[in-house]
Amino acid sequence: MTAGMANLHGNHACALGAIAAGCRFFAGYPITPSSEIAERMSRELPLVGGTFVQMEDEIASMAAVLGASAGGVKSMTATSGPGFSLKQENIGLASMAEIPCVIANVMRGGPSTGMPTRPAQSDIMQARWGSHGDHPLIALAPASVKEIHDQTIRAFNLSERYRVPVMVLFDQVIAHLLEPIELPAAGSLDLVERRWANGDDGYQPYAAGADGIPAMTRPGDGHRTHTTGLTHAEDGFPTQDPDTVTRVMDRLLGKLDQHGQDIEAFECHDTKDAEVLVVAYGISARAARRAVRQARERGIAAGLFRPITLWPFPEQALRTAADQARSVLVPEMNAGQLVLEVERICRDEVRVAGLNRVDGQPIEPSQIARRIEEMAADD
Amino acid sequence: MSKLEIRFAGSGGQGLILSGRLLFQAVVLDGKRAAQSQSYEPTSRGGFCNSDLVVADREVDYPLVTAIDYLIALDQIGVAPSAAMMAPGALVLTDARLVPEPPEGDITLHQLPFTDEAIALGSHRAANVVALGTLVGLSGICDRQAVGEAVREGTPKAFLDLNLEALRRGFEMADELDQGEPDGKVVRL
Repeated sequence: MTAGMANLHGNHACALGAIAAGCRFFAGYPITPSSEIAERMSRELPLVGGTFVQMEDEIASMAAVLGASAGGVKSMTATSGPGFSLKQENIGLASMAEIPCVIANVMRGGPSTGMPTRPAQSDIMQARWGSHGDHPLIALAPASVKEIHDQTIRAFNLSERYRVPVMVLFDQVIAHLLEPIELPAAGSLDLVERRWANGDDGYQPYAAGADGIPAMTRPGDGHRTHTTGLTHAEDGFPTQDPDTVTRVMDRLLGKLDQHGQDIEAFECHDTKDAEVLVVAYGISARAARRAVRQARERGIAAGLFRPITLWPFPEQALRTAADQARSVLVPEMNAGQLVLEVERICRDEVRVAGLNRVDGQPIEPSQIARRIEEMAADD
Repeated sequence: MSKLEIRFAGSGGQGLILSGRLLFQAVVLDGKRAAQSQSYEPTSRGGFCNSDLVVADREVDYPLVTAIDYLIALDQIGVAPSAAMMAPGALVLTDARLVPEPPEGDITLHQLPFTDEAIALGSHRAANVVALGTLVGLSGICDRQAVGEAVREGTPKAFLDLNLEALRRGFEMADELDQGEPDGKVVRL
């Protein structure tokens, strides 16, 4: 696609964002409502010298993505529902072996097969904790077709810079939404390329400098390296020495905190004097935006805090946005997931409540508007 | 912000999503902002299907329909899910053959032979485009030329002539209604 205005579906915007970011390998297994990402990649990747593989299942897809990325190619997969569950073990391997990769997950109604064609936002906690063990990762939640495109590019940048799996979480509604978007010119993008080790005899694959991010070695460059899911020391070989394990795990789990400012993205609307603060993401944030605007028109001091990065959660930014708030409302298409994080951050200062739907229907602006009015009246 | 909400409702496989997409292209060509969404059941043929469009004079904040101004129902199965979402005074166009129980309430209803007209043109599959033409002709949501261009751009070659004929027939049906000589029954509720 050339630069300029384009009418795109969310899923197609994801695929084109990936290509623009330099993704040249996609492995996946089609699943509603994410299939159009794979479909578009299968058409686009060969045109830019990339590789598309439809694997036998989601487990193998994730493994193929890690293999390709370890081989030096920006790589991604896309999935939904049960497919996301199947990818979790290898997502943990990506966190542990610090292999950059991007996973688009189009959330649909669950659990299990659930409602394949209906939207949900019920993988928020699975995105964070679906793989076992303490592990670093980043999750982004775009709210429009344009933002799917841009945050997919950003997902690759963050993944390559910090050597972590990055998830792009959206839902069936925006995945299948058609909106006009402005595609940037190819040369205008700020793309992050992986930092490769060079020419040092003493190369240790997991030794990091002050930024906490080790340089990778490109296969064939001549460095000795070792990649494993076992807990490993700086030399890449397994260890259970408590001091060493503490040191390497501190770095692994601390590296995103160190770069929080670059990673945590969010948007504030009318939060400065907001007495009722709505915290919403994805399609629910667009409903909240209208509800907050309507509340303001009726003289209620409402505001919207929209985290774009869900994990790690922009904690300090939320504290600032909630500074004047007496109550916080968290609308989400699940039984109450991100609200737990918001409660953890805000509960000492304000009353936090969820507004939840698990019926496969999007939350409507009028539902949020009603709750804002009730909360304003209670204060 | 002034906005319009349009829904094509019916059964999976009737080309409702295509109709929505074509109208989207047309209104964007016409210089408006729009968002087109879809909801459907896991069965790709049969089962209800909605293809929705929100058209606005500036960026669409919430992209889904909440109060439908124009409803085009091509199958009975599409009627019930929309009943609670109609804006007062909405214009409703239903297929005379496939929607025996059209919606009721504060609406303007036209029961029109979209499917029969499409069959007369060569295939029932063009009913979606006949309906699209009638909607654009009656409502002026966008320029007739713009929707013609969208149909030309968005139709596979094998169906292009049929779709252009279907669109023209839709325009004619709108003109006949405007002249008070409707093909179908006109009910004002």
